[in-house]
Amino acid sequence: MIELFHVWKQYQRSQWALQDISLQVRRGEFIFITGPSGSGKTTLLKVIFRELFPTEGQIVVDGLNILKIPDHRIYRLRRTMGIVFQDFRLLFNRKVFDNVALPLQILGFPRKEIRHRVFNTLRLINLHHKMWDYPAHLSYGEQQRVAIARAVVNNPKIILADEPTGNLDPELAFEIISLFKEVNKQGATVIIGSHDRELIRHFGHRILFLQAGKLIGKEAL
Amino acid sequence: MELTVNSLWQYRGRNVFSVTIICLSFLILGVFLALSNNLQFTAKELSSNMVITFFLKKNIGPADREALQQKIKNNPLITGVRYVSAEEALRRFQKNFPELQSILENLKSNPFPASLEARIQERASASSQVLKFVNEASGLSGVEDVQFNRDWVEKMESLSRLARAVGFFLGGILILASFFIISNVIKLNVLARKNEVEILRLVGATNVFIRIPFLLEGILLGALGSLVSLGILFLVIKFFPIYLGPSLGALQELIRFRYLSLSQSFSLIAAGGGIGLLGSASSLARFLKT
Repeated sequence: MIELFHVWKQYQRSQWALQDISLQVRRGEFIFITGPSGSGKTTLLKVIFRELFPTEGQIVVDGLNILKIPDHRIYRLRRTMGIVFQDFRLLFNRKVFDNVALPLQILGFPRKEIRHRVFNTLRLINLHHKMWDYPAHLSYGEQQRVAIARAVVNNPKIILADEPTGNLDPELAFEIISLFKEVNKQGATVIIGSHDRELIRHFGHRILFLQAGKLIGKEAL
Repeated sequence: MELTVNSLWQYRGRNVFSVTIICLSFLILGVFLALSNNLQFTAKELSSNMVITFFLKKNIGPADREALQQKIKNNPLITGVRYVSAEEALRRFQKNFPELQSILENLKSNPFPASLEARIQERASASSQVLKFVNEASGLSGVEDVQFNRDWVEKMESLSRLARAVGFFLGGILILASFFIISNVIKLNVLARKNEVEILRLVGATNVFIRIPFLLEGILLGALGSLVSLGILFLVIKFFPIYLGPSLGALQELIRFRYLSLSQSFSLIAAGGGIGLLGSASSLARFLKT
């Protein structure tokens, strides 16, 4: 489903964010990427949805070399993915409903279907009562849940989540990962970048450990 | 659409500025267009009432007059001929210029000659054939003089053409300026929402999906600007004659202030929308390329 071949990423001279990363993620797999702060988790996720281009290497998603997709066609790749950004990237001039509805509107879903799906997704993360609020009126944790709802609302084939539980209390964090597991059960491939060892240990899936941009295998948790 | 309206409200300061500039540009174009329309209309009114007056010699007999009248009537350019006797000409003068009554009283005899008034086909009034006919008719027996004043009509028509040309020139320059202003205002709006555009791209929006609200914004700004200019023009045309008051005198009837035609009004609104669309499309093309 997702294959990385000798991927290197350099932001500045002599500073490598990713070093020779090669990995394969099978369809329907659930993976945690972990490692200390600055180890390259976010960069790794960003090259997969092509927000960043690797300095070297190739990335194949669903049989397609994503580095060869022209800019005006990149939307096709992103429509197959649900992405939870570390900084949420919510639209603060739109209500919670509109933020979550965005991927469905982009895909051209009918209004009725959009209302139905958005409400159900927000109910899953217990935010349906704040559907008509603006994100600025929500707490940090609530904003994070809205970002998660937006990522899963259209049942994407791939979910990439960068620290999706970073600001949530342990109980809610477990609920959120359970939600991702639910989506995974329905066939989605899920990759979660997280430094929360407790959480990762609890769910016990395949774990990739990054350190200074290098993939060093499974960490001894 | 809701998104577009929200954005227009959110950045209302700069949007009001751009609507004002568009409005002024279209107002100038509209004023000259209305002026040209009015002159054109006046010229048409004048030419539709255009007659050739054949002043008759004093000694012409009724049979010769009849023959002359028939001869003039036979010309295909003429729609009708009317005999105006010397007495009728005097009565007309007395009616039209009552203040000059005293001059007539001092005269012993009627100074006005009898005449034949030939009405010309409306379409033919500007043709060279009429001028040719006037020249030929002046040599007919029994005709003392021929009067045909086309100068006013021609002057009105020239003025109308001039007003239209000036309007299109000045309006054109200003509309070009509005194009760049809209383009820059939309660019500022896009830059202010750069983050939003980026997020839309990341969640899989196509360029078309991203562009549509901005294009709608441009169309609305342009159409609103030209609509406001039409409103102002309407008020100007409605109240200008009231402001001028009776000073226009007899001209009041001739120079009636007419508004732009419906098709012209719609064309100006469409042009406003079009300018807005092009302005926003050009700034988006540059922005979305990067």
